[in-house]
Amino acid sequence: MTHIMVPVKLVPDLVEELEIADSGTALDMTWLRLIINEFDDHAIEQAILLKERSGGEVTVIAPDQEGMDDVLFTAAAKGADRIIKLIGDFEEGTNNHALARAFADAAKDAGPDLILTGVQGNDDLDGSVGPYLAEYLGMTYVGYVAGLSLEGDKAIVQKEYPGGLIAEMEVSLPAVLGIQAAEEPPRYVAVSKVRQMMKEASIDEVDAGDLDTSGGLEVSSMYLPEAAERAEMLEGDEEEIAAKLVEIFKEIGVM
Amino acid sequence: MPERVNYWGIPHDWGAPELYVYTIMFGAALIMLYRFYLRASLWWKVGRPEARWDKLHIRIWKLIQYAIVQTKVLNQRYPGVMHVAIAWAYFIFFLGTALTTIHERFFKFLFGNVLFAYKFVLDVFTIIFLVGVGMAIYRRYSQKPKRLTLDPGFTFSLVMITVIVLGGLLTESFRLAVEQPAWAWSSPAGWIVAQLWIATGASDAVLTNWHLVAWIFHLLTVAGTIIALPVGTLLHVLTGPLNAFFAKLDRPTGELAPIPLTPDGDQIYASKLSDLSWKQLLDGDACTECGRCQDACPAHAAGTPLNPKELILSVRDALRADAAAVMGGNGDAPDLVGEKIAEEVLWSCTTCGACVEACPVLVEHVDTIVDMRRHLVIEGAVDAELQTALSNLGRYGNSFGKSDRMRARWAKGVDPKVKDAGREQVEYLWFVGDYASYSPTLTGITLKTADVFQKADLDFGILYKGENHSGNDVRRVGEEGLFEMLVEKNLKALSRSKFETIVTTDPHSYNTLKHEYPANGNGEWKVMHYSELLDQMIASGQIKFSKKLGYKVTYHDPCYLGRYNGVYDAPRRVIEATGCEIVEMPRNREDGFCCGAGGGRIWMEEGEIEERPSESRINEAVALDGVDAFVVACPKDVTMYADAVKTTGQEEKIIVKDLIELVHEAM
Repeated sequence: MTHIMVPVKLVPDLVEELEIADSGTALDMTWLRLIINEFDDHAIEQAILLKERSGGEVTVIAPDQEGMDDVLFTAAAKGADRIIKLIGDFEEGTNNHALARAFADAAKDAGPDLILTGVQGNDDLDGSVGPYLAEYLGMTYVGYVAGLSLEGDKAIVQKEYPGGLIAEMEVSLPAVLGIQAAEEPPRYVAVSKVRQMMKEASIDEVDAGDLDTSGGLEVSSMYLPEAAERAEMLEGDEEEIAAKLVEIFKEIGVM
Repeated sequence: MPERVNYWGIPHDWGAPELYVYTIMFGAALIMLYRFYLRASLWWKVGRPEARWDKLHIRIWKLIQYAIVQTKVLNQRYPGVMHVAIAWAYFIFFLGTALTTIHERFFKFLFGNVLFAYKFVLDVFTIIFLVGVGMAIYRRYSQKPKRLTLDPGFTFSLVMITVIVLGGLLTESFRLAVEQPAWAWSSPAGWIVAQLWIATGASDAVLTNWHLVAWIFHLLTVAGTIIALPVGTLLHVLTGPLNAFFAKLDRPTGELAPIPLTPDGDQIYASKLSDLSWKQLLDGDACTECGRCQDACPAHAAGTPLNPKELILSVRDALRADAAAVMGGNGDAPDLVGEKIAEEVLWSCTTCGACVEACPVLVEHVDTIVDMRRHLVIEGAVDAELQTALSNLGRYGNSFGKSDRMRARWAKGVDPKVKDAGREQVEYLWFVGDYASYSPTLTGITLKTADVFQKADLDFGILYKGENHSGNDVRRVGEEGLFEMLVEKNLKALSRSKFETIVTTDPHSYNTLKHEYPANGNGEWKVMHYSELLDQMIASGQIKFSKKLGYKVTYHDPCYLGRYNGVYDAPRRVIEATGCEIVEMPRNREDGFCCGAGGGRIWMEEGEIEERPSESRINEAVALDGVDAFVVACPKDVTMYADAVKTTGQEEKIIVKDLIELVHEAM
């Protein structure tokens, strides 16, 4: 039976206005509202679709962040068999290196055949979770996946490229796939179903230990984009525009 | 003195004629009752239980009002007169027959003037009946309105009831032709027909024989019709009154029942026949197929797949086809939702209640539709737009997907600052609602409302970010869990606030706050629509007008204010107080036509439609003579009709105005 693990995280909800913390290097968490990373939501949906189609077991795993319980119970209401919360110092935010290491440790214990996670998140400052996770687990990684099917110990995945190109490739399991979009939009779960899950299902808590953030980057300053009129539109055909670009690059000393 | 002779002209050497009559009639009645039992027992054998036995005196009154007097049938002139001419005539014939039995067996009273009056009334109703039948024939075979089911079953019923009455008339006429009594004038219809037989010059013996033939024919057709009644279209004679008797009494029209539970406490989502209550199944058998709901339905008029009549008949047909399979418990009965009733049919409903209002036998279409929608929601079968709206409502408390902190953004510049009812005591708590709070096109109207309140020195406040969507349409979409969550959130904010009365501009919020929110610990609040509050403030002199506007306007009744809550006059009085003249649209008050936004339709994909209900409504308004403004009393209506005025290209002819705009302008 295929065991699919879906690591998910919460990211800042862009419905709220973002504010910079006094430190000047991070978002102000007091005004921040968190929402499930949209790509992770697609990863959950894809995992449930696979389970419905070819059987298997789905585990959704997530760091302990404010509001995560609701997300996990919603995943259970959709059909996840196991929901795991990593306990650790996640509240103030961490980097994706640390998060991927924590997910990797949990994955080593659980031994999934397939890991589906969102291909990216709006707070990915140090790269996305998927490739790190694959690296720490020594698995194959394919990103920008928009659909897959399972055939024995292989997955046939559709990977999206810019310009509407889609490649179909065969991946040996176990593997980590970065989901761009599930084959169908994430389903709606009625509130009463989620509430029922809150009564029936339980969240397994796994201690993530001390977080290892090494390899990540250090933010020296964070600021909101300033409104300015600095854009210059280049006109002409491709050759002319390219020539003008080269000229400008030389002018500002990057070439 | 003349006395009624029982069994005139029936040869007594056959034995007692009453023996034949009673045997045949009791036999027919028994067969009828047995066949009816077979049919009716499916309601409770297949359907789930539902308590509808309380308040018997009101139920009996409903029976009299809707099944005997037939007030709803009479709401439409031609079909109303047609139907009561037939039905009342039969009531009288039935009563007349019962009286002869009393006269014959218990108490002789049909002498002299009483007898003349008795005969006269029966004969007059024979004529009334024939007029009704004439109207029915014209309607069914010449007019053929679209809404009617033109099925041979109806023709059979019409023929049978006519044959019975003609048989009675013939019998009487032969007797009169033989007797030719001095009081023959008291049976005018029979006497006229008798002239025919007298003119033939036939002997008394021949006419008496013909009388016997007519009498036997009459007897047998009555018996035959009674036997056929439970399996034909005359079934409504029994089920219609039952449906009126078992009508919903425990809650106002604006209150939906919670999700029913099994004895074990599990929730029942209506997807199969057996998930419906016996009363919902009775609705199907009570349907007379008159099609009034179909005519009234905005979704049907718009060309969506929903036809309320077909929907109810789908339930009926499914019961007939699948009851055995359901009761056999072998599980191969097809699902109702999806197989017999398409999802799009259920999603097309605006829950405007026009069908329920129109139904002469009190079928409760909307409740059944919402029950089935609840099943679709729990299965996650919602369209993408609705899913977005519901997710937003769950997460942010509004369908716009905006931050709850932005809810009172519109009030930012209001001076003096609008009070926060969560912090200081107010007399009126203004429940602003989603559209008035978040829709950028409505901000002007919301500000004018605040301005009018302030100028009138109203002590009011709002909940700021404590307010959530009221949940009225969330509930009607079928998302009961989300509705409960929104109610909990709002109750929390309301219980923290001190106020006496809730006022809202939104009829949808008004409906659910008034009927579906449990009163909190501070006691019950009063809920007012702003039209009612304005009306009250104008009457008390708290609002004074400085000018008369002099516009000629028409007024659109919002479904949840009018049909659901009976508030028709307050907004009209307010409009008139501003010095405007109201010209009514043909569809007004109880017959008001929905804008198409209700029941969560405003959040759903539109689907394929021919004419939007809002466009039909605007076309109705511009057809009126010289009307400048289309006045509404619902924020969603402003949005819906402003769009419709544009899409119908009527910008030159009419403008949409909120009630508050008139008040503001006249102050």
